[in-house]
Amino acid sequence: MGLLALGTALDWPDAKLQAHLVRAWGIKQLLEIWNKAKGKERDAMLWGDEVEYLVVTYSEEEPKVLLSLRQADILTALANDTDLSAKGGCVPELQHIHRNGEPLPVFHPEFGRFMLEATPGKPWGIEFKELLNVEPNMKLRRCIAKDHMLPNEHPITLTTFPRLGSPGVFTEPAYPVSGPKLRSQFVPDEIANPHIRFPTLAANIRSRRGRKVQVNVPVFRDEKTPWPWKDPTVNYDLNQWPEDDDVRNGAAPDNFIHMDAMAFGMGSCCLQITFQAKNITEGRQMYDQLSPLGPIMLALTAATPIYKGFLADTDVRWNQISKAVDDRTPEELGEKPLQNDRWRIPKSRYASNSTYISTDARLRPEYFDPDLVIDEDIKQQLLDGGMDDRLATHFAHLFIRDPIVVFNEDLQSLDLSKTDHFENIQSTNWQHMRFKPPPADNSIGWRVEFRPMEIQITDFENAAFAVFMVLITRVILSFDLNFYIPILRVDENMETAHARDAVLERKFWFRRNLFSARPPRSSGGSGSSTPRSAHPSRPATPTGPVEDEYRLMTINEIINGTAYANEADNDSGDDFPGLIPLVESYLDSVNVDVVTRCELGTYLDLIRKRASGELWTAAKWIREFVRGQKAYRGDSVVSEEIGKDLVGAVIKVGEREQRGEGFRGLDVEGVKDWGRLMGGFRS
Amino acid sequence: MTKLILSTGNIVSGGPSIIRKPGGYRSNLELTNSLRSNFLAAQQDFANDAHNPDDAGAAAAAAALNGNGNSNGNGFHRSDGRPPASVWTAQEEGALYVPRIDWSLAGLQEEPAQYDITVKLFFLPTAPVAKRAQHAKEALDLVLRELDVKAVTLLVVSFPGMSFEGDCEWEADKRNATQGNAEEEAATWPAIEDLHRQGLVRNIGIAEFGSEKLAGFLKRVQVRPTVNQINIKNCCNVPPPLVKLAKEQGIELLVHSDCTDILSRGTLRELLGQGLQGAGLLAEPEVNGDGLKGDLAPQWVVKYTAVVRDRGVIENKGYFACAELMED
Repeated sequence: MGLLALGTALDWPDAKLQAHLVRAWGIKQLLEIWNKAKGKERDAMLWGDEVEYLVVTYSEEEPKVLLSLRQADILTALANDTDLSAKGGCVPELQHIHRNGEPLPVFHPEFGRFMLEATPGKPWGIEFKELLNVEPNMKLRRCIAKDHMLPNEHPITLTTFPRLGSPGVFTEPAYPVSGPKLRSQFVPDEIANPHIRFPTLAANIRSRRGRKVQVNVPVFRDEKTPWPWKDPTVNYDLNQWPEDDDVRNGAAPDNFIHMDAMAFGMGSCCLQITFQAKNITEGRQMYDQLSPLGPIMLALTAATPIYKGFLADTDVRWNQISKAVDDRTPEELGEKPLQNDRWRIPKSRYASNSTYISTDARLRPEYFDPDLVIDEDIKQQLLDGGMDDRLATHFAHLFIRDPIVVFNEDLQSLDLSKTDHFENIQSTNWQHMRFKPPPADNSIGWRVEFRPMEIQITDFENAAFAVFMVLITRVILSFDLNFYIPILRVDENMETAHARDAVLERKFWFRRNLFSARPPRSSGGSGSSTPRSAHPSRPATPTGPVEDEYRLMTINEIINGTAYANEADNDSGDDFPGLIPLVESYLDSVNVDVVTRCELGTYLDLIRKRASGELWTAAKWIREFVRGQKAYRGDSVVSEEIGKDLVGAVIKVGEREQRGEGFRGLDVEGVKDWGRLMGGFRS
Repeated sequence: MTKLILSTGNIVSGGPSIIRKPGGYRSNLELTNSLRSNFLAAQQDFANDAHNPDDAGAAAAAAALNGNGNSNGNGFHRSDGRPPASVWTAQEEGALYVPRIDWSLAGLQEEPAQYDITVKLFFLPTAPVAKRAQHAKEALDLVLRELDVKAVTLLVVSFPGMSFEGDCEWEADKRNATQGNAEEEAATWPAIEDLHRQGLVRNIGIAEFGSEKLAGFLKRVQVRPTVNQINIKNCCNVPPPLVKLAKEQGIELLVHSDCTDILSRGTLRELLGQGLQGAGLLAEPEVNGDGLKGDLAPQWVVKYTAVVRDRGVIENKGYFACAELMED
C-alpha cells in the first residue's frame, strides 16, 4: 500500500490546510525525477506480482470462521525469522526452491488488519523458463506465511471475507463497532491496520467527505429473497456519532447491501502486476495499451459475489473499493453548487483511468475525455518544467486530489532527493493502471502497474493470469498492437464488468482491428533519420470515424477470437483474432522448450475456458456453492454456517495445492462443483 | 536459368499474416500469406512512386518503369491493373528480387549483442542435394544482410520429408525413424558445421528428429546440434526415448509449428501466377502471355527471427525463399 513513514499524522482540517504545499512540493519532486529519468534507456523487462491474502482462523470443530487481526504479530514473526525457514509445512518441491538460493519472498502489511501481501524476493525476468517459477514461488509464499501463523490461522485468497461487517462476532479478537476513527456501525476501528497511516486515511476520507462512505451493492434476488429487500443489518437507532444520521438520511436504499467503511473496499484482495519498460516511451505505450484490457480482465477474474453476509448481484470488487475510499465532498459530487471546492469531479480517486498518456501517433484526439478535470496551474508548472502536454495533463489530473495523510514532520523543508510528496498524491490515486516513475535514486526504470484483476482461489490460477498478462505485454510490443478505444468506453466497460456473469452475459467495447496500417516502404527516400531504425515511422493518424474502429464483443471473442467463439454460427463477418491466438502466434515465433510450452499452454487453456464459459469464474463458483449448501434458504443470506463451509472448502483446496497432491476428487469431499471452476486442471 | 529471391520483409508488425488461424496449425500459411501481402504492398508502393516521379525515393522505380522491362508498353498499369514487374522487382547480382529490397532500411534498432537471432533453413525436396552447401551460404548471407549483423545465435536446419506427429508418442517416434534420408542429411551437415566454424552461426540445430534418427545422426557429425525442434500437437506427450536421449546428449527440445515441406511447386506457381491471389509474374498463356516462362523449382526457404533478449520483444521476423526458373 505504498508509504509507511512514521510521524505525526494531521487530522483532516489541518491536513487540508497543507494540501497545496504537498501538491506544490510533489510537483517539484516529480519534475526532478522526470528530468533525471526521462532519458533512461534499455532497461530490461522485469516484472513482479503481488498476491494479497485474508488471514482467517478456522478449525472444523469451531462453529465459526473468523478474520484474524494478528497481522502485526504475523509480520513480526516473519521479520524476526531471518531465513524465513519454511518449517516443514512445505512440500519438498518448495523446499527445493527455497534452498536454491532464490531470494526469499517479501511480506507487506495492507490496509486490513486481517490482510497480508506477498511479493517475490526479486523481480521476474522474461526467460520463458522463469515464467514457470511464478507458481511454485506463489505456493512458497503461502507456505511461509502459513508457517508463521497459529495452527488455526490460514492465509486464503478470497477477494473478500464473506461475513465482514455482519452482526455478531467476525474477528478474532472481537471488538465493538462504532469506534471514533471509522464510526462504522458494522466494523470496529480495529479492523484497520493500526499503523497511524491507515486509521488516518479512513478518518480523513470520512472527514473530507463530510459523512461516512457509502458502499451500496445491489443484493442478489434469489427465489426467496424478500422484495423489496431492506438490509436487515442496518441499525437506524444508533446515536453515537453525527454520522449515525447517514442511514436515517437515506444512505441505505432498498435492495442494496449497505456498508459504511473503508474496510469494505480496501479490505479486498487483488492480483496486481507491475512491468518495467525499456524507457519512458515504452512505459507510456504499455500504460495506454493495457488500459482497455482492464475491464476485460476484471470480468474474467470475477471473484466477489458476497458482501457482509449476503449474495450480491455483482461479481467483482472494483466499485465497492471505489466507493469505500470516495473522499469527494457534496460540491465535488455535484450535489451542491460549487462554493468552496474547485471543481466537480466525476470519479472517485479509486476508479478506472481517465486519460491516455502515450506519444503514439495512433492516439487520436477523439479517444480522450473532453471533460477531463485537471489542475491548470499544475499543468502549466509541468509544461514550464519541460514536460510534454499529454504527460503533464495526466499528472495535472491526478493532482486535482488532496493528500489525505500528511505527516507534520515532512513539511519542514522540501527534499528533492525524495519523492514522498509526489507519491503521497500518486499512490492515493488508485486507478486501474498506474504509471510509475523511477524512484528518487533512479535505480530502476519506468514502470506500469496493471491493477484490475481479482485474486483467484488457487496459486495455479493466479500464476496463470499473471503469466498471461506478461505474455500479452510482449505481444503488444512485438506486434505493435493498437487497443485504443475512447477512454469513456473503457469506463463504460468497467461498469459492464460488474454485472453478474458479465463474462458470459455481457458485451464489451473493443477495437476491431489491432494492427496498424502497413508503413509505406519508399516514401520520402526511405525517410529514416536514425540509421539503425528498421521500423519505418508509424503511419499517419488514420482519419475514419472513431465509432467505426470498435464494436461490442463478448469476452469469448476478445480472448479466444471470433473463429473460436462463434464456431456454431460462423457468419459474424467481423473477424477478431483473439488475445490467446495472438499469444500463441508470439510463442510460435520465439524459442520455447517443450516442457515450458506445455506449461504455458496449460495457463492459456485455463483462461480460454474461463472466457468461453466452459469453466466458471470464481464469482460464479462461490455463488453456486452458497446456493447449493443445505443451510441456504434461498434468501441471499450467507449465514455463519455457510460462510464457514465456504472458507473451509477454500482452505481444503489450498492445502491440497500446498501438498502438491492435485485437486482430484475435491468435488466429492465437500468442495461442491470444484470441477466447474477448475475442470481437470492440476488434478 | 534465373534465380528468384522472394522476401516478406518484416512481418512482425505487418498485421494479420502472422496470426495463427484456427486449424492452421502446422501450416505454411504464415509464409504464403506474408509473401502475398508483401508482393501486393510492393506493387502498390512502387506503382504510386512511379506515378510521382518527383518523389526522391521513386527515382529507381520510375527509371525501371521507363526502361525496357515494360513489355506491353501501355503505360503505368498493365491491362490487369498490376504494375509491370520491372517496377516492383529488381534484377541484382544474378537474381531477380521479388519484390525489390531497399537495403538501406536493413538492420536492427539496437546493438546486435542485444538479440537472439534464430534462423531456420528449410531444404526442399525440389532442390538438388548437391547444392545444399551453396544454398545454406546464400540463405544465411541474405539474413545477415537484412538484419545487418555479422552472426546469428542459432541456425536450425530442416530436412525434407520429415515430420514428427506426436499424437501417439511411440508410434510417432517409430515412424520418424523411417523418414528423411540419413545419408543426405549426414552429407549436408559439414556445410552447416563450416558456417559454425566461421563464426557466422553460434549454435546449430536440427528439426523433426526422433530418437532413432537422432542417435544415428549424432554418430556421424563433428559439431553436434544443440537444439532439436519438434512439432507436437500436445507437447505433454513427447516420446520418452527422445526425451531421454536429448537429456543425455544435452540437446534442447524446442517447439515449432512449421510444416517441413514449406513451399511446393504448386504453391509457388500460385503465388507468382496470374490468378487473383497471384503476383502476375509468371506467364500463363490463357490469361496473360507476358512474364516469366518456364519450369519453377523451389530451392530453399529461410525464416529469421530477431528477439531482444532481455525484453522478449520480437523486433524482426521474415522469410526469404529461393526458386530456380528453368526457361523453356
